[in-house]
Amino acid sequence: MKKFLLLFLIVGLHSYSQKNLPDLNLSTLEGKNISLKNDFAEKDKLYIFSFWASWCAPCINELDEMNEIQAEWKKTINFEVIAVATDDTRTQKRVKPLVSGKEWEYTILLDTNQDFKRALSIVNIPYTIVVKNNKIVHIQNGYVPGNELDLFEKLKTL
Amino acid sequence: MRLNKLLLLLVPFALLSQEKEKINVFVGFESNSQWYLNDTGLKDEFNLPTSQPENPLRSNSYLFVNFKYKNWTAGIQGEAYEKNALLNLNPKFIGTDVATYFIQYKTEKIDVTAGYFYEQFGSGLLFRSWEDRALGINNALRGGRLIYKPTKFLTFKSIYGQQRTGFDVANSTIYGLDTEITISDLFKFDTTTLSMGLTYVGRDEKTDIENPKFNSLTSAYAGRLSVAHNSFYLSTEFDYKSEDAVVQVTEQIDNNLIKPGSALLLNLGYSKKGFGIDGTFRRLENMGFFSERGAKGNSFNDRIMNFIPSLTKQNHYNLANIYVYQAQPNVILADKDLVKAGEIGGQIDLFYDFKKGTALGGKNGMKLAFNFSNWNALSGTFYIYNPQDYKTDFLGFGKRYFTDYNLELTKKWNSKWQTILSYSNQYYNKKMIQETSGEVTANIVAAEATYKFNATKSIRVVGEHLWADQDKKNWAGGTVEMNLNSKLSFFVSDLYNYGNDTDFLRNHYYNVGGAFRKKATRIALNYGRQRGGLVCVGGVCRFVPESSGLALSLNTSF
Repeated sequence: MKKFLLLFLIVGLHSYSQKNLPDLNLSTLEGKNISLKNDFAEKDKLYIFSFWASWCAPCINELDEMNEIQAEWKKTINFEVIAVATDDTRTQKRVKPLVSGKEWEYTILLDTNQDFKRALSIVNIPYTIVVKNNKIVHIQNGYVPGNELDLFEKLKTL
Repeated sequence: MRLNKLLLLLVPFALLSQEKEKINVFVGFESNSQWYLNDTGLKDEFNLPTSQPENPLRSNSYLFVNFKYKNWTAGIQGEAYEKNALLNLNPKFIGTDVATYFIQYKTEKIDVTAGYFYEQFGSGLLFRSWEDRALGINNALRGGRLIYKPTKFLTFKSIYGQQRTGFDVANSTIYGLDTEITISDLFKFDTTTLSMGLTYVGRDEKTDIENPKFNSLTSAYAGRLSVAHNSFYLSTEFDYKSEDAVVQVTEQIDNNLIKPGSALLLNLGYSKKGFGIDGTFRRLENMGFFSERGAKGNSFNDRIMNFIPSLTKQNHYNLANIYVYQAQPNVILADKDLVKAGEIGGQIDLFYDFKKGTALGGKNGMKLAFNFSNWNALSGTFYIYNPQDYKTDFLGFGKRYFTDYNLELTKKWNSKWQTILSYSNQYYNKKMIQETSGEVTANIVAAEATYKFNATKSIRVVGEHLWADQDKKNWAGGTVEMNLNSKLSFFVSDLYNYGNDTDFLRNHYYNVGGAFRKKATRIALNYGRQRGGLVCVGGVCRFVPESSGLALSLNTSF
C-alpha cells in the first residue's frame, strides 16, 4: 500500500499541465464515425462533453436543463454540447428513442465499451468536461440541480 | 514485487513530463473503503445477527496512469485490496500489485496495442472485455490487438491474448477477428445508413478430461447488419458457437453432453421529434462463453468472455430493484419442472413528449416513458436421465421467467418544482431464475419531487412502496436528499420490509451519508445497512451479503 501511495505521489508531482482530449474514434447515433481529435477542433470554441446513460436520472435532468437554456446562452458564447452515452448494449437501443422523445438538440456519441469514459478515469456519471483547443479546461464531477447555471457562467471565463 | 520495477520505469517518464506540452500525463484514482460493523438488530433467516468479517476494515483502490507522447500512449493500472477486498468480490483480488498495462501506437489508419486491452465485437454476445469495478469485473485480454482502417468505410480488428483473472491470466488462448463495412459510405447514400459486420472468436483451452468428445478449440461466428432510413432503423445479429462440452454446475465439465450454442438478436425502432419507440427480440441457446470451460456459472463473473445483459428496464428506484431479472443463456437439466437451455423474449420501449400548451402537457410539458419486457425459457424436448440431452424449438416459448410493465411520468411544474411518478408491475419466477422455489408478483409505486430553493440549493424527496403477496411480501421506502450548494449534498434513506411473515426479518435498511465534490474530485461518506441480494450494473449482477457499516469512497483525476 505504501508503494502504491509513492507511485501516486511521483506521478502526481509531474502532472499539473492541462490534459489533451484522448485520441479516440466513436460512433454517433446516426452511425457516423467521429474522431475526438479532429472533429471537435474549431479554434477557441468550447465543447461540453456530458457523460450520461439512459438509466441515469440526474444525467437526464442535467441534459434536459441544458437543452432548455442552451439556445439563449449560445447568443453570447461559442459552444456546443455533446452528450456521450455510456450505455452498454443492454440499454444502448433505448438511447435513440429517448433522445427523440426528449427533443434534445445535441450531438450524441455512443461510448458502448466505455473507452472514452475509461480514458478519463470517470467513476460516476453524470460527469462533464469542457474542452477548448483540444485541451480539457474544466471538469464537473456529478450534478445537482442548478449546476448547469454554474457551468454556463464558468464558460465565460474559459 | 513487480511494483518496484515499475517505479523505476516510471522515473524517466516522470522526468520527461517536465517538458510541458510534449508528454501528457493523466492520472485517475478511485478508492472505496468499508468498515464492517457488528449489528445485532439485523438478523438473517436463521435469526443470527450480522457480524463483522475477519479484517473488518477493507478497501478496493485503483490507480490509473496514462502517458501520451505524439502517437504513443502507455498506461498502467495498479490495484490494492487491503486488508482484503470488499465482501463477496472475487477472492482472486488480493493484495497490491500491477493489474494492467499497455502501450499503444495510433494513426488515422493503424492502431496497435500490446499489453492489456478492452474490446467488444458487435453486441458483445460473442466477445466483450471490459472493466466494471463495482462488480469486480476486469476481463481485459493480455496480448496484442491490431486495428486497421484502410478507408473510412472499412475497419478490420484482430486480437490475440489470454484473459485477465484476478492478478493473473486464464489458462487458455483467445483469438478474434472482426470486420465492419459501412456500405452507405462506400456508395455515398444520403438518407440511408447501412453497415454490416462479421466476427470470428476462438478459445483454445486444453482439457484434462480423457478421450474428450469435444475440441480444445471452440470457434464462434457472428454476422450483423444495421440499417437506418429517415426515422426508421433496424439492426440484427446472429451468433453461432461450435459444439462444446456443456457445464451445468461450475467446474463440472460434461463429456457426454456436447452442444453448440446460438443467439439471435433483432431490434427495430422508429423515432421522430417528441416520440420514439423501440422493440428488441432476442433468443439465446447455450450461449455461456468463458475463457475456461469450468468457470461457467461462477458467482464472480470471473473469466467471462461475452456480455449477455438482461434486456429489461434498468430501474433506478430501490424497491424496483429487488426482483431483478438476469439473462438465462445456460443449460440446466435438473428435473422435469426445471429445464433450461436458454431464453426467448423481448422488450418494447416508448418515449413521448406531451408538448407545452397541450391539455396533458400544461405550461411546461410532460414526459412519458413506458417499458414492457417478457422472457420465457425455450420450449423443446428435454431428456433428464442418462444420457442427458435436449432439442429446442426455434420459436417456441417454454415456462415464463419474467414479465415487467413500467410507466414513468416526469412533469416540470415551474422553475422550482419537478415531480416523477413511476409504476411497475413485475412477475418473477424464482424457481426458474434462481433455481430455488416460488413465483412472485410485485407492484411498485414510486413518487418523487424536487424543489429548488435557489440556483444551487434543492431538496429531493422520494417515497416508494412494493406490494408482493409471496416471498418477503410488502416493503416501504423513502429517501430525502438535500443539495446545500453545488458542492455539498446529504441524504437519508430507509427500506423497511414491514410485511415480512417472519418478525425478526422485518428489517430496516437505513443509510445516511453525504458527498462533497469539487472539480474532478468526489468524496462520499455513508453509514448504514446494505440489503443482501444482487447488485447489478448493466444487466450483469453480483451477489452481496447483508452488511452494516461505514463506507468512504473517493475518486479524482488530474
